[in-house]
Amino acid sequence: MAMVNLTINGQKVSAPPGSTVLQAAQLANIDIPTLCDHPALAPLGACRMCLVEIKGQRNLQPACTFPTTEGMDVQTESPRVVVARKFVLDLLFAERNHYCMYCEMTGDCELQALGYRYGLDHWVYPTYTKRFPVDATRLYFLMDHNRCILCRRCVRACSELVANHTLGVRQRGAESMIQADMNVPFGESTCISCGTCLQVCPTGALVDRRSAFMGRDIETEHTKSTCSHCSIGCGVEMVTRSGNVLRLEGDWDAPVNAGVLCQAGRFDPLYDERERVTKPLVRKKGELKETDWDTALQAVAKGMKGTKAQKLGVLASTYATNEALYLLRKLFSQELKVSNLGLLNKVAPVISDQGSLADIAESDIILVVGTNPVNDQPVASFFVKRAVDKGARLIVVDGKDNGLVPFAYMNLEMKEINRAVELAERAEHPMVLYGAGITKNAATALKKLGEKASFVALELGVNTRAAAALGLNNGFDASAAQALYILVGEQDLDGAPVLQKVGKDAFVVVQASFKSPLTERADVILPMAIWSERAGSLTNTEGRVQKANKAVEPKGEAKADWEILSLLAAKMGKKLGASLDDLSALAAEAIRPA
Amino acid sequence: MFEKVLTRNFGLPRSESIGVYIANGGYQALPKALHECDPEQLIEMVTASGLRGRGGAGFPAGRKWGFMPKGSDIEKYVCVNTDEGEPGTFKDRELVEKDPHQIIEGVIIASYAVGAHRAFVYIRGEFFLGVKRWIKAIDGAYAKGFLGKNILGSGFSLDLSVHRGAGAYICGEETALIESLEGKRGEPRKKPPYPASVGLWGKPTLVHNVETLANIPHIINRGAEWYSSIGTPKSTGPKIFCISGHVRNRGIFELPLGVPLREIIYEHAGGMTFDKKLKAVIPGGASTPMLTPDQVDTPMAFETLEEAGTMLGTGAIVVMNEDTCMVDVARRLMRFFAHESCGRCTPCRTGTQRMLNILERLEAGQGKAEDIETLERTARKIQGLTFCPMGDAAINPVLSGLKLFRDEYEYHVTHKRCPV
Ligand SMILES: Cc1cc2nc3c(=O)[nH]c(=O)nc-3n(C[C@H](O)[C@H](O)[C@H](O)COP(=O)(O)O)c2cc1C
Ligand code: SF4
Ligand code: SF4
Ligand code: FES
Repeated sequence: MAMVNLTINGQKVSAPPGSTVLQAAQLANIDIPTLCDHPALAPLGACRMCLVEIKGQRNLQPACTFPTTEGMDVQTESPRVVVARKFVLDLLFAERNHYCMYCEMTGDCELQALGYRYGLDHWVYPTYTKRFPVDATRLYFLMDHNRCILCRRCVRACSELVANHTLGVRQRGAESMIQADMNVPFGESTCISCGTCLQVCPTGALVDRRSAFMGRDIETEHTKSTCSHCSIGCGVEMVTRSGNVLRLEGDWDAPVNAGVLCQAGRFDPLYDERERVTKPLVRKKGELKETDWDTALQAVAKGMKGTKAQKLGVLASTYATNEALYLLRKLFSQELKVSNLGLLNKVAPVISDQGSLADIAESDIILVVGTNPVNDQPVASFFVKRAVDKGARLIVVDGKDNGLVPFAYMNLEMKEINRAVELAERAEHPMVLYGAGITKNAATALKKLGEKASFVALELGVNTRAAAALGLNNGFDASAAQALYILVGEQDLDGAPVLQKVGKDAFVVVQASFKSPLTERADVILPMAIWSERAGSLTNTEGRVQKANKAVEPKGEAKADWEILSLLAAKMGKKLGASLDDLSALAAEAIRPA
Repeated sequence: MFEKVLTRNFGLPRSESIGVYIANGGYQALPKALHECDPEQLIEMVTASGLRGRGGAGFPAGRKWGFMPKGSDIEKYVCVNTDEGEPGTFKDRELVEKDPHQIIEGVIIASYAVGAHRAFVYIRGEFFLGVKRWIKAIDGAYAKGFLGKNILGSGFSLDLSVHRGAGAYICGEETALIESLEGKRGEPRKKPPYPASVGLWGKPTLVHNVETLANIPHIINRGAEWYSSIGTPKSTGPKIFCISGHVRNRGIFELPLGVPLREIIYEHAGGMTFDKKLKAVIPGGASTPMLTPDQVDTPMAFETLEEAGTMLGTGAIVVMNEDTCMVDVARRLMRFFAHESCGRCTPCRTGTQRMLNILERLEAGQGKAEDIETLERTARKIQGLTFCPMGDAAINPVLSGLKLFRDEYEYHVTHKRCPV
């Protein structure tokens, strides 16, 4: 590829063809200030902050949209440029209320930072001429129009990244306002509270409620990790301060989601109100009593050892880490020869291994079969809606209430699967997204698409792929178990189907983070750390093994899921891998398809 | 006397009907173009005629046609810009209301020349009669086989329909017009790419002003040589001038380009009302800098007005007499531009608002000495900074006002009132 050669501030720079001046400058580490531009969004050229001087051009040109050409000569901080930038800032600061000391974002605001950079020390134009509304109708974040600079990052994020098209601009000129739908309160709009707009807003116009006034960015730590919700495995950043998670943000560098998150990934984990289990508990004379780890693990080991392999049962959550699931299998199925193993929720059968989430964007027809990603894997639904925006045809083979039906070209019942398959056969790049709701027949019919199609299973639990690969989904029968080890972990379950069948005298061990009907029935409860408190790895539905990191200390005496199993194995006299790194490698090896 | 071309039928009863148009020589260029010329020849002819766009920018029409990619396998569109929003301009409305078939004939020929099979009329929402006339005329043209499949047996097909805007000035700008036609918020697009390469729904699109298109049938009928003999060498053809303000006969006058401004004001428009003294003239619509009485002999052509420091624009002449307050003029025009800014880019959205605030203060006698400076500085800083030409258009009334009548601005500050 022939590079384009240009000069920026006298420095020779070469950039790939098609780059903008801004991109070329970034490659050379030359900082051009921007406001409306955002790397994840299509350039708009609206704010005029990035204006640069280009030899031969009569006017200053916005670097974010101006294409590079061979031999171009650019000045990014010439006196003329600086005058223009100051002017833009003078106008922006006076347009609405940018009285920084009362703003939640002070210190973290891109507008404010540019004010400092260009030495704004007074208002050139009178300010506070108008008061704008604050919309607090959304649960997780609010919109303060007084701080909005109309850069429209939010609008573009909602449309381009989430394909939700909730946000827009109403009126024009100085009357322009960001609005939801046809100007309804944000909380009553089609907004799905994914928070993508919140994440891209450069000012204090969109403010997270939970972390508001909890500290500046510089006072926080950012820990990258993997979201522990669904099988997409989005990259997240946990923003913490003094041992508390303040906020979750999408990781722009993450390969799967490239920055976007959904409500379940961004907000819900921080609003979990379930009561934690913080100490090991052992049932004595019918009552659960707090105890120490050693005693609790001893009790488990005793109960397990005293039961024959055929009478042992294991239930695992698809939300546990690779390491925990690996140890669970190693300990119970390989060492103790248990075969009565199962998962706590239904999972989809494997139709084919070929395909990745990235294929959704390239496909011309998308079949969504027996899965409702709008509810369960929202980020996957964003990918689908984006593809539909680009012209892909969506066929939903599921109930009428499936969240993707409004975007679909066709909604079929499961028994009409052959029609969907026929249409997909005629397409160039068919994509099949399927979930636990798929029938056997439908799965067989879809196999006909063979090599041509990409398949991705959309599962509930973040680590379903690993759990299935480790053979933990093995037709569990609760009534056959005299001793039962349940790794519920963080999964939100009432456990009724299991509890109904478990024998009255069965010895039940529950490894859990939260209290639930399952912990109530337990004979031993092993307190488990949650997503922010443990490290490990997770395998997403594409088979991508990703790291999860620990940002804060576990609550009480809770321990990481794998650590508990490792200690238990030791108690039972089995040494199964020592360090986390060793375990991760062993687990990854065991999960990898043969 | 100049023989009228574009407005020749305006005086006839029911001039808008297809019958009257045909009876007066209408739809004769169409068969000629379709049967006797190939698209290349038509483009050459229009280029040779020297026809320049009448929508404001004066871009040579033939060159624009030439920019459209060739080949029948590419989907292409033609848009008829009937948004006419520039204050002082009211020629397109007249053309649509009084002789729509003349435009339709031009649209068909232009579409044939560039290979488009779909054309759209984008009309300003407030043109209620215009919409009706457009629809009726299009129906009539379909009925006679001038539109639709296989026009006049030539094998060329074209569909034409009308889209109503919602009344935003910016939607007259060609890329904003395209956005609006696509059903989006009417805001300009980044140029390049120009519509001729990436336009409506991403396809090559030819956007023309109504008046530009109305010229086409005449060029085909009477030849490029005849056409270019009208006007000046660089500004050929007839032009509909709209004259308003303090003159006796306000209205439209079709005259050859290059006609002296004096002739338009004092002969055609009958001179100043009450024989007051002329103070200033806006020669080409609200966004063109003003001329002073000593420049009244300037010929009304693209190049001569440019030499005089202004523009022909849309040919909308606003005449102001000695009783006119120049601060008030600037305030009114600025109110228009501030109101019509699309709101996308900072300098236009908030800069025009700031200038308006200052002008309002000055007009109300509350201005301070530094206000004039701030006003001028703001205008100069907006210049060249905005996303689309609207920003530069908006500052012209102020900059030219300050250049020519600065003393009046100062009087407002020192005397806290208007000098007139
Ligand atoms: C702010 C703005 C408003 C415009 N409004 C109109 C208009 O109302 N009608 C029009 O024909 N052209 C208008 N134009 C010019 C168009 O962008 C475009 O140049 C024109 O339609 C091209 O046609 P022409 O080549 O036949 O002149 C406007 C341009 C700008 C920048
Ligand atoms: S939260 Fe998500 S859906 Fe709602 S407005 Fe923001 S980007 Fe759009
Ligand atoms: S809310 Fe934020 S992101 Fe949206 S336009 Fe305003 S400042 Fe920009
Ligand atoms: S960052 Fe380039 S115009 Fe806003």
